[in-house]
Amino acid sequence: MTAIPSAALVPAPRRRGLGAWARNPWRKPRILLGITLLYVGWSLLPVLIAVLFSFNDGKSRTVWQGFSTRWYYGDPLRSVWHDPTLHSAVVHTLWLGLLATVITIPLGVAMALGLDRWRGRIPAGANFFVLVSFVLPEILLAVALLFVATVLQTPLHLGTVGQVIGLVTYQLSYPVVIVRSRLLTIGKHYEEAAIDLGASPMGAVRRVLLKMLLPAIFASTVLVFADVIDDFVIVRYLSGGSSTEPVSVKIYNTARAAPTPALNALATVLLVSSLLVVLLGFVAYRRFTRGERRSIDVFAGET
Amino acid sequence: MPDASARTGRRLWPLLALPGTVWLLVLFVAPLYVVLAVLFGGVDPILRQPVPVWNPVRWDFSQFRYVLEHIVGPDGFFGPALVRTTVYVVVASAVCLLVAYPVAYYTARFAGRYRGLLLTLLIAPFWISYMMRMLAWVNLLQNDGLVNRVISLGGLLPAAHVNWLNGQPVTVVLGLVYGYVPYMVLPLFAGLDRIPGAVQEAARDLGAGRFETFRRVTWPMSRQAVVVSLLVTTLPMLGDYYTNDMLSASPQTSMVGNLINNSVLTPGQTGQAGAFVMLVLLVSVLPMLLYVRASRTGVEVES
Amino acid sequence: MPPAAGDPFGRRSVHAGPIGRRSLLKAMLAAGAAPALADLLAACGSSEPPAGAAGSAAPKIPSPTNPVRWPLSTKSPAIKSGLKPKPGSTLRVYNYADYLGPQVIKAFEKKYDVTVNVSTFNDEDEALTKIASGGLNLDLYFPSYDSIGKLVGADLVRPLNHDYIPNIEHVWPQFHDPWYDQGWRYTVPYTVYTTGIGWRADMIKDDIGAMSNPYDAFWDPKYAGNLAVLDDWHTLMSMVLLRNGITDINSTKKSDISLMHDQLMKMLRTTHPKVTITMYNDLPAGQYGLAQMWSGDVVNAQYYLPKGTSPDVLRYWFPEDGHGEVDNDLMVVLAQGSNPVAAHLFINYLLDPTVAAKNFGYIGYQPPQNSINPDELVADGYLPKNLKSATVLPHYFDVGYRLLQLPPSADQAWHQVWQEFKAGA
Repeated sequence: MTAIPSAALVPAPRRRGLGAWARNPWRKPRILLGITLLYVGWSLLPVLIAVLFSFNDGKSRTVWQGFSTRWYYGDPLRSVWHDPTLHSAVVHTLWLGLLATVITIPLGVAMALGLDRWRGRIPAGANFFVLVSFVLPEILLAVALLFVATVLQTPLHLGTVGQVIGLVTYQLSYPVVIVRSRLLTIGKHYEEAAIDLGASPMGAVRRVLLKMLLPAIFASTVLVFADVIDDFVIVRYLSGGSSTEPVSVKIYNTARAAPTPALNALATVLLVSSLLVVLLGFVAYRRFTRGERRSIDVFAGET
Repeated sequence: MPDASARTGRRLWPLLALPGTVWLLVLFVAPLYVVLAVLFGGVDPILRQPVPVWNPVRWDFSQFRYVLEHIVGPDGFFGPALVRTTVYVVVASAVCLLVAYPVAYYTARFAGRYRGLLLTLLIAPFWISYMMRMLAWVNLLQNDGLVNRVISLGGLLPAAHVNWLNGQPVTVVLGLVYGYVPYMVLPLFAGLDRIPGAVQEAARDLGAGRFETFRRVTWPMSRQAVVVSLLVTTLPMLGDYYTNDMLSASPQTSMVGNLINNSVLTPGQTGQAGAFVMLVLLVSVLPMLLYVRASRTGVEVES
Repeated sequence: MPPAAGDPFGRRSVHAGPIGRRSLLKAMLAAGAAPALADLLAACGSSEPPAGAAGSAAPKIPSPTNPVRWPLSTKSPAIKSGLKPKPGSTLRVYNYADYLGPQVIKAFEKKYDVTVNVSTFNDEDEALTKIASGGLNLDLYFPSYDSIGKLVGADLVRPLNHDYIPNIEHVWPQFHDPWYDQGWRYTVPYTVYTTGIGWRADMIKDDIGAMSNPYDAFWDPKYAGNLAVLDDWHTLMSMVLLRNGITDINSTKKSDISLMHDQLMKMLRTTHPKVTITMYNDLPAGQYGLAQMWSGDVVNAQYYLPKGTSPDVLRYWFPEDGHGEVDNDLMVVLAQGSNPVAAHLFINYLLDPTVAAKNFGYIGYQPPQNSINPDELVADGYLPKNLKSATVLPHYFDVGYRLLQLPPSADQAWHQVWQEFKAGA
């Protein structure tokens, strides 16, 4: 229900002064806006600097040595354009991101729905393990999975399969926790109404609940995708050779090495590609839901 | 008719939760057992690598006990690191909340048609590698970096220079905040979004001031979202080692995550990692219990 | 009887615990580096040694006073001479990141019509696990000499066929029969480096190199907050021993270990050092003025200086008589690889003086080539004059101190000290 502009009902007080301004409940949220803009600026400034250094003329990634595009295509050996290991890293990263997200989100959302409604000891146990997987430092999971991959005879092999399995396992708790919390604020009324009106339980879930859960699903998709493309520990331990080394491994492998801003250039390329992927996803989503609400409010779950 | 659908309804939930639960069981619980077998296992005498010992009866707890015995007392050299971690994480989480709440609130309530843009800007830092963002902070905080230049008013007050990157707890805490606040904003947004503006306006219509509305209406309704976003940020923060490595690299600010990392990678010390993880789990039990309790008594909003 | 609580010499690996674990480990050794699940589960149930267990003693630890000639592998014998690599085949190399010049790789690929695929690792333990699993099919590996015992013991390497590597004549003579691999049956050296002290003349007024005991600088409150030490347990802890004139940097003596403990803690309290490996970047950035560094780091540092700062400010000290820490990295051919011929040819190629010099220009770490001499390096522009001391000289390897693998109990004790150091005061 949209609010009737309250200014129409209550005449604005004419008193002046800072105190009155502070106490006015209907004033525009300028402080909040200020904080938000400051936050966005603070949050993005290092991103801009990281991109800036991809144009560094020298080898340093933290000391400015002049402007140049050598790390993108100028340098005949080490630029992103010319170094084949760097492009394969970008492709592999995006591929891992896609695979892992596409598996984790549906699994996680379904699990959140199921765990919320199912009572009993098994779901309580599953709930507990979800939380444990949250707290467990990633390196322990990575070492354990490395063992499973190298010592035991299982379908978990080093390489993309192992990396995806490790990533999904590590990320599964995010959608479960986030979606569940949103689920709790929704309550059962909508589904019950839908069922009363003749929908099957699955239909009620699909047509009512999921729409209302969209912000939580959106939030978890973003978190999981971003986490996966930047993940370092699991993918490094489970990598199966240079073709399965994503960008993060290239960026974080600094022992005994003197890495260059080509890595910044790589990260920038990845940033741009991910934004493109998300944009494509968003456009595809808009096309497929053309018959329904088109405005971005749909992400807010406002029904 | 309602009976049949009620029955299928009850079967629906376990069915939904099942794939996720099975996955978690096979790929998380089982590797968890492998983790324990490795942590308390032996060392291969030739390769000097950790070797899992499958039989729990044969597990070796000497390293585990070593940690527990060296926490307090004259020999308690692990104590300071644990206390330090707790302090850093509590402070960083509090600051994260202080920063994320207004931003999420503004985006959920007042952003209007700029909501999509704002969300994109809030998400953008995720897509540039974490290491790149931290390196960017290294660049800003260098002795001759932007921050020092601003503080000393462009060189006028050279005494105001701070050696930010040399074992300063402030830098590490702010680094943690910077790294984890995006993880808090999204779930908070997803949760705050559910608070209908109508209820707040009703409160104001009834005469509540701005602060009073917040205290009595908004805050109680956002508690669930706050708990979840705290969970999503605080728990991974406890295992963080990278922030300290990048922004301080000094043993004076080392956190539990650094201790875990060091001991897992040292043949013969893996039992210590087990002890640290157990301590971390104990500390996180409180927020986990809060979460479980909050999720059982869901906050009903719609009526 | 289980080891005493809090005993840092916890004798875990072979002796501790009931007999079952020892037989479990023996079973693993018998079954090879990648045991099948069945063996493990069978062994863990019983407490009798499984049949056919080849009980091996702790592997030999080579040292300059105890040189080792490794047995030739029977499972993976050396390849026959005179073979050529299949055109279009792949050579799989396993190395640190950025530790091989790309133009060097490209030229090799063109010359032999072979594709070179470089996989990277961050630390040797991770590398060993992946190699031991056999799944990656790697041909060439670049370890440190303290891994050679493990690699040979676990039968992961293939003996070299010297006919393919005539360029060995360009390498320093002491590597033709090194103590860690007499007769160079398995290894060829890749780079040599020293661990010394680097500093910036514009940030540190004193000449550290001229001090009577330069290592003392790390405990001098004058430099508090302005220095860094290497994040490597053996390297840093050895520096404490060298500071005190103890030349056995692989000491197992309890007194030495507690000396290291006390002095490291004192260092933390007095000078608050940073503990890192990024000196090649931080020193030129002016983050600190003094650091324990590898020679290759200081060579690389000149490329990380801000515009307007001349490389003249960099300085490096290593004992002129060679009595300091020296090390070298190796190249070995792995038994699991499917292209050993190309691996041999690549090794030979990297030992060619021109190629080695080019590689040096990229990675900053010096190859042990006879043709390299410090004056020429300065003249050819690889090094500024003030960094001549970063050149590694052959006689260093006759008298210098090596970081060796420690016996398990001492290894444990050293690591306990390190863990306490890293936990902060």
